[in-house]
Amino acid sequence: MRLSRDSAAGVICLALSLSMLYLTRGLPQSALVPIGPDFYPRIVLGITAFLSALLIVMDALSMRRKGGITETAPAPQAAAPRNYKLVVLTFIVFGLYVALLPWLGYRISTFLFVATLQPLLERPKSLRGWIIVLVIAAATALVTFIVFEDYLQVLLPRGTLTGN
Amino acid sequence: MYEHLAVAIGGILHLKYLMPLLAGTFAGLIGGALPGVTITMTIIMVLPFTFGLDPLQGLAAMTGVYVGGSAGGAITAALIGIPGTPSAITTTFDGFPMTQKGQPGRAVWLGLWSSFFGGLLAGVFLIGATGQLAAIALQFGPWEYFSLFIFALSMVVGLTEGSIVKGLLSGTLGLVITIVGSDPVMSIPRFTMGSDFLRSGFAFLPVLIGIFAFAQLMTDIEKIGQKTEVLTPIKTPSLTVSHLKVIWEILSRPFLLLWTTLVGIVIGVLPAIGGSAATVMAYDQAKKISKHPERFGKGNPEGIIASEASCNANVGGSLVTILAFGIPGDAVTAVMLGAMTIHGIQSGPLFMTQEPALAYGIFAAYLVAHPLMILLMLVTSRFFLRVITVPKSVLIPIVLVLCMVGAFALNNIVSDVWVLLIFGVVGYGLVKFRFPLAPLILGLILGDQIEVNLVRALMTDSNPWLFFTHPISGALLGLSVASVVFALWQHHRHKKRNAPAEEEEDVDF
Repeated sequence: MRLSRDSAAGVICLALSLSMLYLTRGLPQSALVPIGPDFYPRIVLGITAFLSALLIVMDALSMRRKGGITETAPAPQAAAPRNYKLVVLTFIVFGLYVALLPWLGYRISTFLFVATLQPLLERPKSLRGWIIVLVIAAATALVTFIVFEDYLQVLLPRGTLTGN
Repeated sequence: MYEHLAVAIGGILHLKYLMPLLAGTFAGLIGGALPGVTITMTIIMVLPFTFGLDPLQGLAAMTGVYVGGSAGGAITAALIGIPGTPSAITTTFDGFPMTQKGQPGRAVWLGLWSSFFGGLLAGVFLIGATGQLAAIALQFGPWEYFSLFIFALSMVVGLTEGSIVKGLLSGTLGLVITIVGSDPVMSIPRFTMGSDFLRSGFAFLPVLIGIFAFAQLMTDIEKIGQKTEVLTPIKTPSLTVSHLKVIWEILSRPFLLLWTTLVGIVIGVLPAIGGSAATVMAYDQAKKISKHPERFGKGNPEGIIASEASCNANVGGSLVTILAFGIPGDAVTAVMLGAMTIHGIQSGPLFMTQEPALAYGIFAAYLVAHPLMILLMLVTSRFFLRVITVPKSVLIPIVLVLCMVGAFALNNIVSDVWVLLIFGVVGYGLVKFRFPLAPLILGLILGDQIEVNLVRALMTDSNPWLFFTHPISGALLGLSVASVVFALWQHHRHKKRNAPAEEEEDVDF
């Protein structure tokens, strides 16, 4: 059986809230204070669990009313396809950027990140396009570094391999 | 009061404060004008630049972004028919038809001058009302505060489009994020999994940036490559116009200007409603009071005046609620509140009395940002269309770099950048599951305060009925229930009238 979008969201939220509710059992109590550290989390998580269950029930009732028509049924007007592959790739590239920051430092990682993500989002069609990509990547890394570090006294990540 | 204000205006005109204000206003104008880049996003991008500045410099820049962004939305709305910000949607109704009639300058400047007058009129209210409301809020005990925060949360939930249950769930998920970390009474770690980093909980800013920025950017990225209908902008539009004529067009309709400004202020003051609702309501009001409602949507100046005056008046109203109660009006003000916290400012009823220089500094920055906005547009209007057509492939990586800097610079640790990424995935996931983000952000901001006030109230007196028997607290809780019940009724009525449209829709950021 395939879960609809709302039911799937409800199940995830229910699982999260119930597992966190379980974790509140191990929280130590204080003899000095009548209200323990688990008091407020239990209220919040209890409400979250209830609302998650409600979302699942309401979605099931709505499905039944529609006579089993799920969201997979063809829409009257087909929506334009979404580029989810690009979204996943962007998350991966950003993840690599964050992972490289402590090793390569801000300037080199930022240059690599911008130089990778730009052509991923829109592939340059000529050599000039590739040069522009590299120039923008270098300018982003250097200009932001100078502005933040030299003018605004905001520290940026240092690289253990590069020392800057 | 006016002495303080005069001193503050004199202070803000010093180069030290004027430069950040100018830069912020300019960034706001560009961010507001760029379709797909909201004011929230612009504030997030500008925030790391203010970390090294003193609090008033930083807040002047932020106020500039807010004012400039609210006005900037009108530029693209009028010129290419695409609202730069969601709240400028009503400006497209009459602004773009006016441009198509060959009057782009009149359309843009009617919008900007209306923003100017609406914003300044709201400034009078901002300065006069903040202290008064803060004085009322000073009478509040923990019961009243708890109920006020619940009221704000219920308002934002009630106003979400789509499922109310999802709105409520989104709000509670925001609260769930805040329970991670040490408890506020005994500092006992909760849900930290033994991690020292999590003992202080998730830092507010990386979570906020992650959820908002990634949700918006990834939604943009997934549309890359789609064939979309592009409204052809007019080639090299001349924005030359007689400013006196435009100003007269606005001031010759004093009732319209005042009424729509009032609508903007009231919506701004009410917690959690936001700019889009203000402009839509003001536009609707303008149509109702107009002698020629049939002209609306065809390039009627009254439509532009109503939309833009209310939009910037809304900024003034929202600032009152932030400064007097410490409650954000919408996503933009939520980020503004976060920015204030970053600069070590605890907004709320004590702010006016404890930090009068800063409070009047913000008022002064708000007032000065309006003429600056006009001045900047006079100087840079020629280049605006060129700036707003920057390709997404260039813009998105740079925005992500700034998001990284914003998250890292808070505590100078890379772990915060991982938090940014994790909550980026969470934010994007929530958008795909069609959860509204505004309740989550409000829950995230108010979560700690809700817990502190609840615990404080119960430790003062364990009788829970006091929340209902204290008159203000009881009234606020009653209003909270009423707002959710009203929203349920409204959704039920809306569902009955309209067949469910289950198309892929984008979330209003």
